[in-house]
Amino acid sequence: MTVAGQNPSFVLKKVHEVSFEERPIPKLSGPRDVRIEIKQTGICGSDVHYYTHGAIGSFIVKSPMVLGHESAGVVAEAGSAVTSLKVGDRVALEPGIPCRYCDHCKAGFYNLCADMKFAATPPYDGTLCRYYVLPEDFCVKLPDTVSLEEGALIEPLSVAVHVSKLAKITPGSSAIVFGAGPVGLLCCAVAKAFGATTITAVDLVQARLDLAKEVAATHTFIPTRGDSAAESAAKIKELLGGKAPQFAIDASGAAASVNTAIHVLAQGGIYVQAGMGASEITFPITEFTIKELHAHGSFRYGPGDYQLAVELVASGRVDVKKLITHRVKFEDAEEAFKLVVKGQGVKILIGGPIV
Amino acid sequence: MAQDNFSCVLYGAGKVRFEDRPVPEISDPHDILIRISYVGVCGSDVHFWMHGGVIRMVSEEEPLVMGHEASGVVHTVGPAVTRVKPGDRVAIEPGFPCRRCKQCKEGRYNICPKMKFAADPPHTHGTLSRLFKIPDDFAYRISDSLSLQEAVLVEPLSVAVHGVRLAELRPGQTVLVQGCGTIGLLAAATAKAYGARSVFIADINKAKLDFAKGYLGCATFVPDLTSTPEQDAVRLKREMDLEDGVDVVLECTGIEASAQTGIYALSAGGVFVQIGLGKPLQALPLLAMCEKETVVKTAFRYAPGDYEIALELLDSGKVSVKPLISSTVPFESAAEAWERTRKGEGIKNLIQGVQD
Repeated sequence: MTVAGQNPSFVLKKVHEVSFEERPIPKLSGPRDVRIEIKQTGICGSDVHYYTHGAIGSFIVKSPMVLGHESAGVVAEAGSAVTSLKVGDRVALEPGIPCRYCDHCKAGFYNLCADMKFAATPPYDGTLCRYYVLPEDFCVKLPDTVSLEEGALIEPLSVAVHVSKLAKITPGSSAIVFGAGPVGLLCCAVAKAFGATTITAVDLVQARLDLAKEVAATHTFIPTRGDSAAESAAKIKELLGGKAPQFAIDASGAAASVNTAIHVLAQGGIYVQAGMGASEITFPITEFTIKELHAHGSFRYGPGDYQLAVELVASGRVDVKKLITHRVKFEDAEEAFKLVVKGQGVKILIGGPIV
Repeated sequence: MAQDNFSCVLYGAGKVRFEDRPVPEISDPHDILIRISYVGVCGSDVHFWMHGGVIRMVSEEEPLVMGHEASGVVHTVGPAVTRVKPGDRVAIEPGFPCRRCKQCKEGRYNICPKMKFAADPPHTHGTLSRLFKIPDDFAYRISDSLSLQEAVLVEPLSVAVHGVRLAELRPGQTVLVQGCGTIGLLAAATAKAYGARSVFIADINKAKLDFAKGYLGCATFVPDLTSTPEQDAVRLKREMDLEDGVDVVLECTGIEASAQTGIYALSAGGVFVQIGLGKPLQALPLLAMCEKETVVKTAFRYAPGDYEIALELLDSGKVSVKPLISSTVPFESAAEAWERTRKGEGIKNLIQGVQD
C-alpha cells in the first residue's frame, strides 16, 4: 500500500491528533544544500511528548507540525556547490541547522545557537515525510556496511557520543548510567567504546537491564523503592566491590537517579545530565561540593559527534541494531507513537513513504 | 559595476599603484560595506613590499590591494544585518572563514583551510580601499572613548590575546615575552592584565627595550648574541631572580635563537607559545623540553572570542594602545608608512583611509 502525493508528511495537528498531509516538496535554499528522500525514522521521547502534551517547556506546537527527527535517507538532489555528496548516497541526517554567525556557533557550540532550526521542534517541521533539505555538512555519508536502519539510530547515538565526550570517559574507568531507555543503552555502548571497563546500568525494569547487559553493561542494578539516594549508592558501591565509579550519566531525568548518581560518584568524578524530567529538583549539593564533582549539562550534539557516531557503527564498536524492536510502515506511523506511549519497545522505526 | 573604490594596489615587490577598483557589492544578506578610516602596517606588509609576498606572490597579472589591520565607519548593510548600522564606528576582524568545515564548527575558525584573509594572494584583497566588504559578525562596534586610530590596534592586540589564552595563563604566574615589537608589547600588556605576578620582556634592541620599560613598567632583559641560548637562559634566571625559570614564554620574534633561549628559561612543566613567525624550519632543544615536560603551543592569528576580549581590555583601561601609534600618513603615502616600518622607525605606523 502506498500513500498518495509527492511529499506525504505525518503531521501533528494538536494533542493526540495526527494526520497525513501532502506538503510541497522542499526546495534547496542554496548551492550547498542537499534534498534527501527519507527512508527510515526512529521516534524519540520528545516526538511522543509533543504528541501527548503539545509542548516541551517553552516550545509549544502552535500550528500543525511534521514530526520526527531521527532519520536516514538517500540523497535525491544536490546543490551546485556540494562536493562531499552525490545523488544516490545514503546519509544519516543531523537535523538541526544553526545560524553559523553567532558567538556560540563560532566558538564550537552550535548546539547552543539561539537561532537553531531543529526538525520537529516548533515551529520547524520534522523528517516524517518524503523529502527533507539540509546543508551538505549536516549529512553524514553512511559507509556501504551501515544500513539505513542503523542510519536512523545515528541521531540518538550522537546524543550518547556528545554526553560521553562531555563526561570525558577514559579507558580502564568505571561508568554508571541511570536509565536504560535508548539514550541510556547507547551511553553504555559508547562508554564501552571509549574504553570504560566497568559499566553499570540502572533502571527499574529488569527487561531493560537485560538488554543493557547484552549491549555493553557489565553490572546492572534495580534500586529498591523506599531506599534513599545514599542507601542506593551504598548498595551500588557494594555491587562494584567497594569501588565508586568515576563517571555518572543520568539518562532518565528522574530526581532519584540524579541524587543517587551524586552519592555514588567517586571524589573528583564527572556527572553529565542527559535525561530531561522535572525542570526543578532537590539536589544533594553538599555531597557534590565536598567531593569536588564536576557537573555538566548536555544538549543534543555538537561538532564531530555525528561523524564519530557513524564511525563507531561502521567499525563495529557499537551495535545499534540491538535497540530496534519494532518496524512500522509510514502509513502506520501513529501505531509507533502509541507503542511508545504504552511504554513498549526500545527503538521503533517508521519506514519512509513509498510513493 | 561602479569603479569608484580608490585603492592601494601592489603589483610586485616595490611596485605600488593607486587606482580605482570596482566598488564591492552586497551579495550575501550578512554583508556590510565599511568606509575605511585607518589601516596599520604590519611586518607582513613590509615583507610584501620587499618581496612581493610570502608564499603566494602578487604579480602584474594578479595585483593585490594591501592592508589587513583596519578600522572604519559602516557605510551600507545587507538585509540580514542587525549588529551594526550605517554610521557605526568599528574595528575590523579581517579574516573570513567558511563556517562549514570541521575547524570552523569546532570553534577554531582561524585554521579554516578555506579562510579568506585580507591581502592574501592571489585574490583576497585587503583593506586599503575606500570601501571594504565584510560579513557583519566580523565588525566590532567600538566605544566612544576609543579612537578610530586606536581601533586599528585591536587586530594585533587580538593576536596577543590569542597567544596569552593559549598559554592558559593564570594569575600569579611568571611570564617571559620575547620581542618588543607591537605583538611583544601587547602580549606583555595582556599578560599583566591576565594577572601575571611578573612579566619580563626581552629584545636585542635597547631603544625598543627602553620604550617597553616605560610602557609596561616591567623588568627587561637584553639577550647576548655571543652567548648560547642555554647560557643566556641561565643569565636571565639569575638577573630576574628566578630559581626555577618562568612559567610561560610568549615568543614574539620568530627568531630561532630566541625560541631556544625561551625554552631553556622555562621552569619544569612550563608553557611555550610560539606567536612570532620567522624561518619556516627551526631547531628546538627537544631533550631539554622532554626532561621538563615543556608544553609547546603554536598560535595563529585570532580565534572566537579574542576580538571581544581585546576590546574589553581597551575599554576597561587594562591595556592602552595609544602609545604605540607612531605616525599617520595620507592614503597615497602608504609606501612611506611601509618604508618607515621596514627601517624600524616607530612601532605602529598608520595609513589614513581615502579622504573625500
